[in-house]
Amino acid sequence: MMIRIDGKKHSWREGMTIKDILKDLSDSHLYAVVRINDKHISRPHFEKTLIPDNSEVFLILMIAGG
Amino acid sequence: MAEYEMESLKTFNYDRPVIEKGYANQTICIDISDFVISVKPVAEKMKDVFIGGKGFDLWLLWNAVNSTTKWSDPENAICIASGPMGGTPVYPGSGKSIVTTISPLTGSVIDSNVGGYFGPYLKFSGFDALEVTGKTSKDIVIFIDGIDEKVQVFTASGLPDDSYNLSAMLTERFAKGKPRNISVVSTGPGAKNTLMGCLNFTWYDLKRKRARYKQAGRGGIGSVFADKGIKAIVARWDTVKVKTNNPADPDSLKGVGKKYSRKIVELDPKQNQMAKIGTTHLVSIMNDFDLLPVNNFQYGRHPEAENIGQEVYGRIFDPGYDGCWMGCTLACAHGVKDFVPVTGPYKGTRVFVDGPEYETIAGCGSNLGIFDPHSAIEMNFYCDTYGLDTISVGTSTAFAMECFEMGLINETDTGGMDLSFGNRLSALEIVHQMARGEGFGQIVGRGVREMKSIFAKDFGADPDLMQDIGMEAKGLEFSEYISKESLAQQGGYGLALKGPQHDEAWLIFLDMVHNFMPTFEQKAEALHWFPMFRTWFGLCGLCKLPWNDVVPEDNKEMDEPAKVMKHVEWYAEYYSAVTGRHVQPDGLIRMSEAVYNFQRIFNLKMGFGQREHDNIPYRAVGPVKTVEYESRQERYDKQLIEKHKVDIAGKSTEEKVALLRKFREELYEKLKDAVYKRRGWNNDGIPTVETVKRLGIDFPEVLELLRVYGVE
Repeated sequence: MMIRIDGKKHSWREGMTIKDILKDLSDSHLYAVVRINDKHISRPHFEKTLIPDNSEVFLILMIAGG
Repeated sequence: MAEYEMESLKTFNYDRPVIEKGYANQTICIDISDFVISVKPVAEKMKDVFIGGKGFDLWLLWNAVNSTTKWSDPENAICIASGPMGGTPVYPGSGKSIVTTISPLTGSVIDSNVGGYFGPYLKFSGFDALEVTGKTSKDIVIFIDGIDEKVQVFTASGLPDDSYNLSAMLTERFAKGKPRNISVVSTGPGAKNTLMGCLNFTWYDLKRKRARYKQAGRGGIGSVFADKGIKAIVARWDTVKVKTNNPADPDSLKGVGKKYSRKIVELDPKQNQMAKIGTTHLVSIMNDFDLLPVNNFQYGRHPEAENIGQEVYGRIFDPGYDGCWMGCTLACAHGVKDFVPVTGPYKGTRVFVDGPEYETIAGCGSNLGIFDPHSAIEMNFYCDTYGLDTISVGTSTAFAMECFEMGLINETDTGGMDLSFGNRLSALEIVHQMARGEGFGQIVGRGVREMKSIFAKDFGADPDLMQDIGMEAKGLEFSEYISKESLAQQGGYGLALKGPQHDEAWLIFLDMVHNFMPTFEQKAEALHWFPMFRTWFGLCGLCKLPWNDVVPEDNKEMDEPAKVMKHVEWYAEYYSAVTGRHVQPDGLIRMSEAVYNFQRIFNLKMGFGQREHDNIPYRAVGPVKTVEYESRQERYDKQLIEKHKVDIAGKSTEEKVALLRKFREELYEKLKDAVYKRRGWNNDGIPTVETVKRLGIDFPEVLELLRVYGVE
């Protein structure tokens, strides 16, 4: 019942979404993209995307591209 | 392999200079009209003002051409240079070459930035830049052999036309058993028969035992190369070490290089995984934010976009190291092994495809309404081997498809082809026709600007409508991002010196998603700083990806996270360590400003550097058609009501489209005003005398040119 967010352990619960994990962060507005394991999820899908147990979550600023 | 013959026409022996602090301190000019080869010294002032890379190219090109020179004139030069840091094996992304010429698409200066080994090998062979002028009726191969200290020009017969086979053959011929010592620049039949030819630059993949390819894609440089009669240019050099570039302070260089390399190895797997999937992650992200071009930039998303996204290509790419320069830990160039095309001369055979990257997937996939990953790979393969720019091919074909769907052209005009969006076989047939120089593909190969004229003149198509939907500016086709909802990105495209390529300023996310720059002044500042810093990479022989596609973990805590200042500071250290010229981050911007303004003035010399040339088609600014408006109706209605204080009750979609257009076009003009002011240009987009003096580019011919345009 644990996930890792940017390498740090974080408790997990059934039904947890990306929006849930960001709401406790003061800088959540900076993250346009979050990676769950190998899959990139963009902000429009944060609310509906469930985080599986044991996931590796990476918060991505997404300032580059092109 | 085909039998071929090469006969030496000219041999030029030289003494290779010792590289000093990243410079060979000389350039080489080869006039292929009469096979005169000359070496020119690089003065300290040339290094002070132009730094290297694109800066050197521009100075050589400026002196080679006059204001009336056309792309196909003998005096037009193809200039290739790396830069003072080019060829450094310990710092990621340090193997770039920059190519400039007068473009057949724009009529003005084009520059293109490319990986592969050629630029560094050229420098280590003794030349900071190569300038090729003249034309010949024979097929020639130029061989720059830094090991044996000679330059040879050969006539060639029987060599294959396609770039892949040609490069492989020439690698084998000149390698003397060490293929990694060879880099080949070549193009293919598509370049000869269109205006959008690219150049392929090779690097040798030791693991896969094959020449791999990167492209100098934009602006038809390959078409100039083919028109001159050049089959290939080959460079040969030996082992590369840190000391090969003879940096001023090798210990500092190794220190900052190792620090940066390790950080990329640590952080890329936690961020965008470019070493694994390249730039393909952008497909789904762009789609999610309504920024992926679909059906000629009409829409920004499509339900089938996942089919051409990172998960699919991640499975298709051949795993392994894919660095286009030695020691690059980002290593984002990927490829597909044993791909079997379903069309064309390679139908049914196994080939290795270098790519696809995001731009090709979007340009030759979603923007054509094609969501089959293998079609994008096949388009990628044939564009490369035919020597065609995938961005211009994609954007031009998308324009032709929309014209077809709107009835502006029909099957009689296309030679019987159904050019509906999504027709992958027709899209591929266009590419094959471009290579053969026949049929409707030959018209598409002239690019969007000429297509608009041809369709109006020969097929009676509405020129005003085509002006709105034809995605070109300055004659160059747009690269593959929807800019409608980001005013800053509209500027990033429209105010770019060479035309709408995103390599000057990719500001969509900073502007639209993060809202880091809500005011005009902030947008103008971004449209000053980002183009300047990105220009700097091209002066030094560097790739920009390691700068901000991987960011430090504490970057978000910085005052200006978008600039990734920790990395900028490392780049300043890197520059100082190689050249011995100590510089702070602000100094990097100053270097670029001089070259950037010089390029703007070069445009002016060619008749293209004024305000009117920074216009962009309305499709890049807002919705042209009612279906586009309706696809984002909630957003547009809200903007009209809240931002522009319009009462939209009872208004038709057509009326709302017209109102939005009026507001958005006014905003774009105001953006021009703000950016020109920030850059030190007058209201017509011309650098002022004060600006050129401040930057040290107040050469007599520059001041005279400004005077002709009323700037004194």
